[in-house]
Amino acid sequence: MRLRFLLALWMAKLSIPALKITKHNGTNYPGELAIKICPEFLKYVKKPKRIITVTGTNGKTTVSNLIIDSLESTGMKVLNNRAGSNINSGVATALINGVGLFNRAKYDLAVLEVDERSSKKIYPYVKPEITIITNLFRDSIMRNAHPGYIADFLTDSIPPETKLILNADDLISSAVAPNNERVYFGIDRMDTDVTECINLINDVRVCPKCGGSLKYEYLRYHHIGKAYCEDCGFKSPEYDYVAKDVDIDEMTLTASDKGGSMSYTLISDSVFNIYNMITVIAFLREFGMSHEEVHACLEKVHIVESRYQLTRAGTVDVVVQMAKDRNALACSRAMDYVVQQPGKKEIFLMMNNFSDEKKWSENTCWMYDCDFEFLNDEDVTHIVATGPRGKDYRLRLLIAGVPDKKIDFVSDELEAVEKLHFEPHTSIYIFYGTDALALMGKVKDKTIALATQYTERG
Amino acid sequence: MKIELLYPGVANLYGDLMNVRYMAQCTGAEVVETGIKDTPHFTYEDIDLVYMGCTTEKGQSLIRDAFRPYVDALDQRIDEGGVTLVTGNALEIFGQRIDNEDGSSEEMLGLYNTYARRRMMNRYNSLYLGMLTDFEIIGFKSQFSHSYGEMPTPLFETIRGAGLNPDVTGEGIRINNFMATYVEGPILIINPLFNKYVQKLMGIEVPVLAYEKAAMDVYKTRLAEFKEPTRGFIY
Ligand SMILES: [Zn+2]
Repeated sequence: MRLRFLLALWMAKLSIPALKITKHNGTNYPGELAIKICPEFLKYVKKPKRIITVTGTNGKTTVSNLIIDSLESTGMKVLNNRAGSNINSGVATALINGVGLFNRAKYDLAVLEVDERSSKKIYPYVKPEITIITNLFRDSIMRNAHPGYIADFLTDSIPPETKLILNADDLISSAVAPNNERVYFGIDRMDTDVTECINLINDVRVCPKCGGSLKYEYLRYHHIGKAYCEDCGFKSPEYDYVAKDVDIDEMTLTASDKGGSMSYTLISDSVFNIYNMITVIAFLREFGMSHEEVHACLEKVHIVESRYQLTRAGTVDVVVQMAKDRNALACSRAMDYVVQQPGKKEIFLMMNNFSDEKKWSENTCWMYDCDFEFLNDEDVTHIVATGPRGKDYRLRLLIAGVPDKKIDFVSDELEAVEKLHFEPHTSIYIFYGTDALALMGKVKDKTIALATQYTERG
Repeated sequence: MKIELLYPGVANLYGDLMNVRYMAQCTGAEVVETGIKDTPHFTYEDIDLVYMGCTTEKGQSLIRDAFRPYVDALDQRIDEGGVTLVTGNALEIFGQRIDNEDGSSEEMLGLYNTYARRRMMNRYNSLYLGMLTDFEIIGFKSQFSHSYGEMPTPLFETIRGAGLNPDVTGEGIRINNFMATYVEGPILIINPLFNKYVQKLMGIEVPVLAYEKAAMDVYKTRLAEFKEPTRGFIY
């Protein structure tokens, strides 16, 4: 075994310079190769003494990056998989980079982002001191089924000695591995909270203890909020780390825990990112930093909002908005966010999954879980539905109550751009999926060109 | 006109609930929702359509326990020709049992003699194309389990895709006007002809569809795609 492991390590290490020459920097190839040669590679490769993993449906990349940047800003060396992937081969690739030729660990600390579904292949060998679970939401119907399935997956995989940092406002992820030591973070009541769910997806409608109807003291979106059951007294866990007095206008929050509290500057105005921020604060506090030290770290880091890009074209703002394809929840969040932005809007829907379209015909069940109802808004003046599933968008929009006269369908995405109205001083939002980057680029360029032409002339 | 939505608190996956919202838009029906601790409306008042959709594995057990006192009432509803539509893995709740991969087994309500075999590491994703009387049914399947045992009268005859399990062509279960199918998601929305068929069973002589043109457009486009012999059917 020792020999096979060393062979795997050396072959993997040899492949790295070759990959650099061919500019395949972010690849999992070294890890993939190592696991192929030695299936128990993850068991034998030396790991840093302290391992932190970050998992969950949304925000795990942002949270990992913020933690790595924060720790590095204090001068620490942090092994991580941010350049690669979050599945077992990505973790292996990171660990290969973290050892010398004779398997000596070069780092004391690793922060690893871990895909929920890869847990079973990773946690038997990589035993984290702390695991952070950001949240669990409905994701791909085909791969992830429902969040309870993923929660069971994590409960079965996470080692019993791992301490968990959990989201108290999410009754799905906060119930993972119930016997593990744990602390909870969350956001206290916000001005924008409601008490009845307006989203189609709500995966915690009944009390997990008695099956009674769950009530919410406050609800943010979907199942995120503070719940209680009138029948049996069940309620959401208490916060150990809480964000209070979130003020979007002033861009501040107060983070509070048993060791004190401090005012922080928001890193973003989206609630998702405020969750990411309190998650990071909770971790850094657990890691032993004072509020002052955490504050100093967060002043130095920022997040990359690559999912939302705005270009001014003539008098029109053209915004490309990532809306993860086949993902009802991600699309709902994106639609909610866009509709809350000020001013009149035109919407361009092209979040088809194109590789599915080549392989089979996209499963569109997700559309009926997705809150297209948000687009039934008087400030949304016009919607262009396009691509292989454009007709499905049109039908879904009609069911959501959007008047027929506001909807245009054109199959070809580039032709569809010509259907946009380009009214001066409006915003055009292009919703695109993860595998449509090249096409989205063309659509965006044409939209910008036409918007400039029409509104500058007008 | 009244539609009863059974257990939306737990049976709410994969867009299934939109079938009811759309059916209400088509028929003008009132929708009543029944929670896990409630007595189903169909046991004490006229309900034109009872619907239940996909649920989680835990949800299947929860619903089984909640519904057990009303199995006889459902039997009676079936005898009297009441219309009931059950989609996705809700179908398994009325079978004999569900067998898990660890060898354990969960008794279910036993309305028919099929049993389900669950494989949690083996999700089956496929398109579906089938026939009901003289029209085609299109849809999607995404499931951990299939049904085996004594095959009942099917709801659909499969053209492409799996029946109650991949080895049989009979899809779903039909007992009088009780209909159960593994086809999940917007079945009543993307199948305008099936929707009208269900409306007729509900006693509506001239069925009306909301947004009929757009719905037919979706149906015809998909039907053509599903019939392309080179198009993949399994995810
Ligand atoms: Zn309760």
